[in-house]
Amino acid sequence: MASVSLRKLDKKYGSLQVVKGIDLEIADGEFVVLVGPSGCGKSTTLRMVAGLETITAGEVRIGERVVNKLPPRERDIAMVFQDYALYPHKTVHENMSFSLKVRGVSAAETGTRVAEAAEMLGISHLLERRPGQLSGGQRQRVAMGRAIVRRPQVFLFDEPLSNLDAKLRGQVRTEIKRLHQTIGTTIIYVTHDQVEAMTLADRIVILRGGDIEQVGTPDEVYNRPQSIFVGGFVGAPAMNFAKAKVVGDALVFGGGNTLPVSAVELGRSSAIDGRELIVGIRPEHFTAAGGADGSLSAEVQVIEPLGSDTLVHFTVGSEAMTARMPPNFRPKPGTQFRLGIDPAKIRLFDVASERAIN
Amino acid sequence: MAVLSISATDSAKDSERPSPVWTRWLDLSDRAMAVLLLLPAAVLLALIIVYPIGRLVYTSFFNLSLTSGLPAEFVGLENYRIMLDDPVFWETTWNTVLITLITVPGALLLGLGLALLANLPFAMQWPVRLSLLIPWALPLSFAGLIFAWFFHYEYGVVNDVLNRLGFEGIIWFNSPNWAFAAICLTIIWKTSSFMALIILAGLQTIPRSLYEAADVDGAGRLRQFFEITLPLLKPAIVVALIFRTITALQTFDIPYMMTGGGPGSSTATLAMYIHQNTVSFLDLGYGSALAVVMFILSMGVTAIYLRIIRTKEA
Repeated sequence: MASVSLRKLDKKYGSLQVVKGIDLEIADGEFVVLVGPSGCGKSTTLRMVAGLETITAGEVRIGERVVNKLPPRERDIAMVFQDYALYPHKTVHENMSFSLKVRGVSAAETGTRVAEAAEMLGISHLLERRPGQLSGGQRQRVAMGRAIVRRPQVFLFDEPLSNLDAKLRGQVRTEIKRLHQTIGTTIIYVTHDQVEAMTLADRIVILRGGDIEQVGTPDEVYNRPQSIFVGGFVGAPAMNFAKAKVVGDALVFGGGNTLPVSAVELGRSSAIDGRELIVGIRPEHFTAAGGADGSLSAEVQVIEPLGSDTLVHFTVGSEAMTARMPPNFRPKPGTQFRLGIDPAKIRLFDVASERAIN
Repeated sequence: MAVLSISATDSAKDSERPSPVWTRWLDLSDRAMAVLLLLPAAVLLALIIVYPIGRLVYTSFFNLSLTSGLPAEFVGLENYRIMLDDPVFWETTWNTVLITLITVPGALLLGLGLALLANLPFAMQWPVRLSLLIPWALPLSFAGLIFAWFFHYEYGVVNDVLNRLGFEGIIWFNSPNWAFAAICLTIIWKTSSFMALIILAGLQTIPRSLYEAADVDGAGRLRQFFEITLPLLKPAIVVALIFRTITALQTFDIPYMMTGGGPGSSTATLAMYIHQNTVSFLDLGYGSALAVVMFILSMGVTAIYLRIIRTKEA
């Protein structure tokens, strides 16, 4: 096991810069998820750690070693690929033991390690099959098994669940988390799925356009997004955003809605008096309170009953928002209703920089 | 339920209604329909493949020489008996087998090398791949003529290079062995591009991620070639070998253009001997018998390859 650190990491393809000076310290045994939309540089970053992409500038350290110039095989890592990259002409056993064979590990030791990994993943009965005879989920497990038998310093996962159907994805996700709890090796995991990031990570790194947007625990990222992008990317349904003006100790929304907010909650209240801001509110931070104070007047557009709760799509002035309400809350579309907000939970963003100010 | 019963009565009505005459012949069983649909292709194949082969085998049992002026006379297996005592038959058959044994592996190795080179990631890929096509696109007899000039004693580029390197020029077409070598080199040059094209297509089906996985697993380039590239190329190589072997057994144009079979009949192939008997000597009976032997040889080799593929798949 080892820590990993990325320092001022750059990747350029010609004049196109896809990774822009990333700094990241990953602790020994930590499960870090790199998440972001397509083209944000997350896979490229992972492949630079693996040694499958050259590093344009900056430094990658695994443990105490700078590995920039080392080929993948000397970095003591194991990788699970999106398409699994199993050798189609080799059996599951041969696939899992290939790296050990290449490294000249004894047959007895190889046998033990493969048996152990297969047992852990529940694929012991598949060892003599070829990848073509396996289901998607089984192949995924073999790919993980191949990584486990190596006993590497770091595991790298490149979107390992994106080729599985939704049900299997949930199942394998749990298994990956259990695996990490069992063997405790450092994991760097790339995904575009924020649910995977939230459920798996010790820390989430949100990337956008080759830059780190925010690093934090799932709770931090969810509850205190540092930018509009993070607030909108993490959580489903996404965070609601609405323009509002600070007037004294209140936020004034479109349609004359006013929300009294204490100076503490506003942060540097004096500095922002009179300014227009973007207010971010999570759908579950609305309450069905009827009181006139700390509430908004909304018009119901659509309701979506989910059984466990009800999603209410509504407008405040000209802004469209969504609230997650109790399952029995069923206002009629077109009607007006009042929604309460917990002022402690709202996030305020600067209009120009889109960064959080509280 | 109501919906179901309505549709049931509807279809009952449909079946009572007589179908128009012109569609009635379509009310055949699946099996009969399949036969009917296959019939045109079957007839065509019978006309252009089965009939000529049948006719060939039939003719091989006759003494039919257009120069003798005599009518065809049934002689049973006499043509085949003559063949056994015919030294030229044995020599040309041996030459054919030897050409196959030398040029097929030769073209495979050269083709594999070319395909691996053409598959490397570099900027000017398409001109290289296009130039791979050129030897393949060239007519066989044309290639034979070009190489006959290359190997010419006085004006040939090969002897020129040998001279510059301080060697004596070789009179290629005066010696059976040198002539044979020149022909084999030409065939390898001409056919390796076909092998390269098939193998290149095979190479492009191997996902890049397998090599990346092997990089991470710790396998070097050589190991990757033997553990990943070669096993995954096997199907493409077998296909290329089948085609190449069959065409090698039928080798005609290149030795015909380069040496005409000489000196003596030392570079003549079975196909050239068949051509000589049927076209030059107009001895259709004996020529047919020779052609039957070549057909059996080709079928035998194909059967062996197919057997190999099938056991591999199993």
